[in-house]
Amino acid sequence: MTTAYSNRAKAFLLLPMVVWLIAFLLLPYVFIFAQSLMKSDAFGNVVVEFTAESYIKIFTSKLYYATLLKTLMMSCLVAVSCVIISLPLCYFIAFKVQSESRKTMLYTLIVLPFWVSYIVRAYSWKIILGQFGILNGFLLTTGLITEPLEIILYSDFATIICLVYILTPFVAIPMYTALEQIPKSLVEAAKDLGAGSLTTFFRIIIPLGLPGIISGATFALVLTMGDFLAPILLGGPNTLFISNIVQNLFGTSNDKPLGSAVGIVILALIVLVLEVSTYFEKKYSSFKSS
Amino acid sequence: MRRKFLTLLLAIPAVMLFSCSSEKKDAAASANKPDSLKYKGATLNILCWEGYADEKFTKAFADKYGVTVKGTYFGSSDELVSKLQGGGGSSYDIISPSCDVASYIVDAGLVQPIDPTKISEFNNLSELLRNMTDVKRGNDVFGMPFTWGPDYLVYNADEIKEEPKSWNLFFDPKYKGKISVWDDISNIYLMGQILGLDKTDKAALYNMNDEQLKQVKEKLMKLKPQIRKFWATAGELDNLFKNKEVVAAVGWPITPATLNKQGMNLKATIPQEGATGWIDRLMITKNSPNKELAMLYLDFISKPENMAKVAEVTTYSIAHQGAKQFMSPELQELTYINNMTYYHERLNFWQYVKERKKYNELWNEVKSGVQ
Repeated sequence: MTTAYSNRAKAFLLLPMVVWLIAFLLLPYVFIFAQSLMKSDAFGNVVVEFTAESYIKIFTSKLYYATLLKTLMMSCLVAVSCVIISLPLCYFIAFKVQSESRKTMLYTLIVLPFWVSYIVRAYSWKIILGQFGILNGFLLTTGLITEPLEIILYSDFATIICLVYILTPFVAIPMYTALEQIPKSLVEAAKDLGAGSLTTFFRIIIPLGLPGIISGATFALVLTMGDFLAPILLGGPNTLFISNIVQNLFGTSNDKPLGSAVGIVILALIVLVLEVSTYFEKKYSSFKSS
Repeated sequence: MRRKFLTLLLAIPAVMLFSCSSEKKDAAASANKPDSLKYKGATLNILCWEGYADEKFTKAFADKYGVTVKGTYFGSSDELVSKLQGGGGSSYDIISPSCDVASYIVDAGLVQPIDPTKISEFNNLSELLRNMTDVKRGNDVFGMPFTWGPDYLVYNADEIKEEPKSWNLFFDPKYKGKISVWDDISNIYLMGQILGLDKTDKAALYNMNDEQLKQVKEKLMKLKPQIRKFWATAGELDNLFKNKEVVAAVGWPITPATLNKQGMNLKATIPQEGATGWIDRLMITKNSPNKELAMLYLDFISKPENMAKVAEVTTYSIAHQGAKQFMSPELQELTYINNMTYYHERLNFWQYVKERKKYNELWNEVKSGVQ
């Protein structure tokens, strides 16, 4: 970096971003945090009176902490499933596909679902998994089942399927980028030294691709933590994510301080997840991206 | 890594920004023009239950004044209150609160008094509904009676041949995973009714003590395995019936009305334990940008021929008995227009719940499965 740009010019370039961040990110979070320390009256209006009541409630009432833990577990499940699906796919595109144009085409196919809105894609799962949906119809015609399966739609299972489907591209993209950066010469060297395909995969490719894998998994984990649409659309009577509770506290119960406090706890948890994942990403990253 | 964090965080406000469509606030034009031109181009925003802003009756009004009537639906009373309190009061002109939150909305100062003398049919509306005191404060009247009806037991008569006598049908192992109830605290009232809490005092359902709430919770936990899905909107319940996901549910008359037009065979009944019910009024929000136009709409919709159309769309009971000359005999029977008092007495109408937060929390606990 030279001194071609004066400090003032740099500040000027950064200005829109800084203003944006302060106005739409920092201030709202400060506001939410302040609100989380207040109370609400019978009419749902926020009363300016400082209290840690909401936080105490979150950590003592099972409704809140148990749902938070359940959501965290669901998020891990979604993240792991996404990784299991993405890993072979990315490996295939990065190492087995030779032609560059074909690689680009396959990569585009991963990104393609982003062209359709989330809600449409979530709804389409209703059509697939419904009692008289495509999946049941297929199973019935093949004779594998005689009665339509009722358990599929409106369950935790349906919610997870939808989330895995929606979030797989988020995992595959950073993962592919990481695998693509692994020099082919290393793979060749491993083979020259007598390593089999499996050994190469587990001892060369996985360790070197780990930062990408962690980064992708983190995306899936964090986005699931914040999702409330999939549980509403596809979840059953037992499916309740922490974001549904937040939505309920703001949209139904009208308890803004408690809703804000739950939001802050989720935020803290996510920051923690990101910090841990950054630590591991750094630890395993042997290649500095140029 | 920081970048990843920021990208994620940035996505949140960005999504929020784009999802909030900017509400256009049309100012009413100058006061000198005749009524037919005065409001041209304005938009009347109605925040209401599903079916209450149907084109079948709003179009004539829209055409008459050259305005747009835009309906936004809410899915529960709590959602309405929270939208109004969240600053939505100036985006909407007319709201349709039910009797559980009507007095609360008046006391919270979210609506303004209406002028009954500007509603030509006001004195012809049901006396029973007109005389209710929950939306009156001194000489001020805050709402125009609009519709009322029950929270029925709706069932698919092709699957359940015999008319259910009791709500206990919901607990029948035969219908495991085939039942749907509304995602709302009204289930607490219903369980209270099944437990017989309102035998002597109708208000008991809305003022349960901790012991009674505990019993209700146990009952709801027993109901849960029977439930396929909690429905959030009437439209969602329609789909559950249509896709044969459920055979019986708590629902409003609009569900059989909509689906039977599409060839289904749904029936609705009030079981022996009774049913809860609701009375909806139309009110004008405190900060309505189109107050005069809103009053004109109330006048328009209270006319018998328009009330009849509301009944046709929703099959809800309506507040104007004179509308029956515009209704078919079947519709008259479905909406109890000829024996309103009788049905009025059979229903336990929603009341304001002082411990609403507690009721809501209990409902969330049931949903999450926490004991």
